[in-house]
Amino acid sequence: MDLKRQLEAKEFAILAEIEPPKGTDITAMVNNAAKVKEEVTAFVVPEMSNAVMRMSALGAAMVLEANRMETVMQINCRDRNRIALQADLLAAAACGIKNVMAVTGEDPSFGDHHQAASVYDITIDQLLQTIQGLKNGKDMAGIELAGSPDFTAGSMVNSGLKGVELDREMDAMKQKIDSGVRFFITPPLFDVSVIEPFMSKINTSDDIHIIPTVVLLKSLGMARYMSRNMKHVHISDDLIKQIQKAPDKVRECIRIAKNTVSEIKKNGFSGAMISTIGWEDRLYDIIHGI
Amino acid sequence: MIVAEKKPVEEIIEFIKEDKKILILGCNECVTVCEAGGKKEVGILASTLRMYFLNQGKEVKIDEITLERQCDHEYLEEIRDVADTYDAIVSLACGVGVQFMAEKYHSVPIYPGVNTCFLGATEERGLWTERCQACGNCMLGITGGICPVSRCAKRLLNGPCGGSSKGKCEISKDIDCAWQLIIDRLKALGRLEDYEKVCSIKDWSTDRAGGPRKVVREDVQI
Repeated sequence: MDLKRQLEAKEFAILAEIEPPKGTDITAMVNNAAKVKEEVTAFVVPEMSNAVMRMSALGAAMVLEANRMETVMQINCRDRNRIALQADLLAAAACGIKNVMAVTGEDPSFGDHHQAASVYDITIDQLLQTIQGLKNGKDMAGIELAGSPDFTAGSMVNSGLKGVELDREMDAMKQKIDSGVRFFITPPLFDVSVIEPFMSKINTSDDIHIIPTVVLLKSLGMARYMSRNMKHVHISDDLIKQIQKAPDKVRECIRIAKNTVSEIKKNGFSGAMISTIGWEDRLYDIIHGI
Repeated sequence: MIVAEKKPVEEIIEFIKEDKKILILGCNECVTVCEAGGKKEVGILASTLRMYFLNQGKEVKIDEITLERQCDHEYLEEIRDVADTYDAIVSLACGVGVQFMAEKYHSVPIYPGVNTCFLGATEERGLWTERCQACGNCMLGITGGICPVSRCAKRLLNGPCGGSSKGKCEISKDIDCAWQLIIDRLKALGRLEDYEKVCSIKDWSTDRAGGPRKVVREDVQI
């Protein structure tokens, strides 16, 4: 497993999201990851997504790396100032984490610690520039580092936008590319054709990799909810009917996720990022045999 | 009051250098008291800009108006008939006034002429100091009327850090240690027992943690 080499070699990379535990018990996290470690290129470790307090992405990524599993450590702007962000990036590199993904982080009001103060000292673009700066051997104050990280940097891109909004997103994406981002993860994709307008706008001379997210739907209700409420996610009525008709809905949802990953692979994408939202024990069923 | 200071004139010129008709709009409230954006400062800025454009060989009309307040619909309406006739308006109000202007007058750009700094007081002529961060959950009742949120560099809520020395903050010998002030004040009031009360972890959701804030008073709404 080596995400950087696999992307460079244009081999299909499978990323799998693994949520750190809310507590110190890492058994489930490690076991679920270990079951699929042969098939997965790297595990994406979110950093307290939805502002829910959990083990840090740095800690969880270190645990997985210690178990010989490559990780993509997410790092958010919400919880730390520029000093702490840089410190944790250096720690991550020294502990063997090779891939990082900058995210903004949701407001604390979304999570389970509503009274927490958010930081947002620097923006996601500035964080990406900081990562680039550290790679070049200098911190944000311009002071030279004794040893610099060699991260492969990633970020999110909203491929579901249309018209002017999509044009703006492409401009923002260009900025991120200039800041050294090598791979972009898209919002959940259920139909490969939906992403075509976005893909057609990508400059093929840019050395970047687009990795769509494949979300494991857990129920018919979840599919309907996402379809109605997630503006930039398209779930067709046919797909919803398909789940509705299935006698074993969970099995059908796993089959849909597996097929979507296969379609993404067939269409020449650099990889897929599988998100099971807490059902990491189903990763094997989705990934095995792709 | 809201304390502001004048923006460097070069920064303001950068905003308006291509315009032909400019309004400098002052505010008669806080920024007048802190001598950053009242009628007097409107006049000074207008004169400076006239001299700049004259030196550039440009003919630019610069008008001066000072409103009673720029954070109130009623007073902003006073320029309704003329606002759209300008290429640009430089507001010397605090950030609230600039934004309220921009929300009201859509077709003319509104530029800030001051930097809004903090909620503070006039200690003496030419010296304004911070007193409040508008955290939305006032604890002055138990801290002897001295705010540790705005006046302690670390915003500590349960006594001083180990860095204060001779009553001064570790970040500068010109800054009083807020907790030294609090202890002295509580001692003078004979209320040192308040110092022993442990302040629980602060709820920052009334600060900026929950995003932009609003106060709704249905009892006074019309």
